[in-house]
Amino acid sequence: MLWLWILIGVVVLLLVVLVYGYNRLVRLRQEVNTGWANIDVQLQRRTDLIPNLVETVRGYAAHERETFDEVTRARTALQQAGTPAAAAVADAGLTAALGRLFAVAEAYPELKASKNFLELQEELTDTEDKISAARRYYNATVMALNTAIQSFPWLLVAGPFGFKAREFFSAEGDTAPPEVSFAA
Amino acid sequence: MTLQEQIRSNRLRSTIVIFGFALLLGVVGGLIGVIFNLSLGIVALVGAGLYAIFAILSSRRMVAGMTRAQEIGPDDLKPLRRVVENVSIAAGLPVTPDVRIVDDPAPNAFAAGLRPQTSYLGVTTGLLRTMPKRELEAVLGHEVSHVRNRDTYLMTMATIFAGVIALIADIGFRMLIFGGGGRGRRGGGALIAILAVVGLILAPYAAMLLRMSLSRRREFLADAGSAEILNDPEAMALALRRLQADTTTIKYADAAVAHLWVESPTSRVESERGGVNFLSGLFDTHPPLDRRIAALEEAGGFRLPAELPADEPFATELGLT
Repeated sequence: MLWLWILIGVVVLLLVVLVYGYNRLVRLRQEVNTGWANIDVQLQRRTDLIPNLVETVRGYAAHERETFDEVTRARTALQQAGTPAAAAVADAGLTAALGRLFAVAEAYPELKASKNFLELQEELTDTEDKISAARRYYNATVMALNTAIQSFPWLLVAGPFGFKAREFFSAEGDTAPPEVSFAA
Repeated sequence: MTLQEQIRSNRLRSTIVIFGFALLLGVVGGLIGVIFNLSLGIVALVGAGLYAIFAILSSRRMVAGMTRAQEIGPDDLKPLRRVVENVSIAAGLPVTPDVRIVDDPAPNAFAAGLRPQTSYLGVTTGLLRTMPKRELEAVLGHEVSHVRNRDTYLMTMATIFAGVIALIADIGFRMLIFGGGGRGRRGGGALIAILAVVGLILAPYAAMLLRMSLSRRREFLADAGSAEILNDPEAMALALRRLQADTTTIKYADAAVAHLWVESPTSRVESERGGVNFLSGLFDTHPPLDRRIAALEEAGGFRLPAELPADEPFATELGLT
C-alpha cells in the first residue's frame, strides 16, 4: 500500500514539474520571439531608408558607383539573411558599407549641406542605436531560454517537446556573452 | 530569476499588498462602527470604496497635477524622446512611454501610470540641465524599470489606499472630538472605545509604513534594472552621485507622490528637522543615495572616481538654455 502511495506521489510530482516546466519554456520562447520581432522592425526600417539615401547621394556624387553598389549589395544580404547570427553579420556589413558611403560624402560639401541628406543620416544613426538597444533585450531573452533548456530539470522537458536553444544576435564568432559558459 | 519572473512575483506581491490595504480599510471601518454605530461604519467603507475607484480612474491626471508635469508637443525635444525610445526598446517594453516635463531646477524624474501602455515619464528641466547623456539614460533606465516591473501600478494603488485610509481615519477622529460620538455608551464600552480610538490614530501610520516599505526595496531593483538595460552600472552610480551633489529640491514636492521620483524630493526637508533620526528613517520613501551607490559598485565591481566627469549636460543638445 505504501509503495502505491509513493508511486502516486512521484507521478504527481513529475506531472507538476512537467506542466510548470513546459509553461515556463513556452513563455521564455515567446519572449525570445518578441525580442526578435523588435530587432526585425528596426532592421526593416534600416533597409527601407537605404534606397532613399543612395538616391540622394547619387544626385550629388554620381560617379561613386562602386560605393553605391557595395551598399546595395550589403542591403540585399541583410534582407536575405535567414538566421539571427547571419542577420547580425549582414548588419555589420551594412554598417561598414554605410561608413564608407558617409566617408565619400565628406568630399561633397553641397551634399553635406543638403537637408535631406542630413535627415537621412540622423535617421540611420538613430536606427543603429535602436538596433543595438533591441539586441541587448533580445540577447538577454535568448540567454534566459538557453540557460533554462540546458539546466536540470527543465532539460527533461525541453528535449521531448522540441525546445531548441536559440542563436544570439551577434556578429562575432562566439555567440555567448563572455561571463557565462555553456558547458551543458 | 529572469526578469519576467521578477515581474510576476511583483504582481503577486501587489495583490497581497492590495489585500493588506483592504484589510486595514476594513479594520478602520470596523473601528468607526465600534465607536459610533455599525451603519456609519458601513457608509464610511462604501464611501471610501467609491473614492478609491474614482482615484484609480483619474490617477493618471492626478499624478500629473501633483507633480506639475506638462505634456510636450509631438515635435518638441526630439533627442529626449529618442533616448526614451532607445531605453524602452532595450528594456523590452511593448510601447515607449510618453515624456512630460516638470519645469523645476531640481534634477529629478518619475514614472507614472497603471499599465505600461498608458505610462509616462516625468523629467524636470533641472535634470536635463544637470545630467550628461550617459547619466540621463541611466536615470531614464531607472524609471523605465519601474514601468516594466509594474512598480508604478503597485505604487499608485498604495498611494490611493494610504490616502483613503488616512481620510476616513481623519473623519472618524474629528467626529469623535467635535461630534460627541459614542451615543451615550458607558461602562464596558469605554475600554473598547479607547482601544478603537488608538487604532484609528495608528491606522494612517500603518498605511504609510506599508507604502514606504514597498517603495524602498524597489529603488534598488530599479537601479539594478537600469544597470542591466544599459549594460552600464557605472552610469547609474554616477547619476546618483550627481544627484547627491546637487542641493536643490523640487519646489512643489507633494509628499503623496514622493515615492514616484528617482530621488526623494522631500528627503532634505525631512533631515533638516533632525532630532528623530531613528524614526524618520522609517518614513523615508527612498534608501539613502550612499547605499544605492554602494550596491551598484558592488554589483558592477567598480569604484566611482572622486570627481564627476565634466561632460556637457543633455540640455545643450536639446537647445534648452
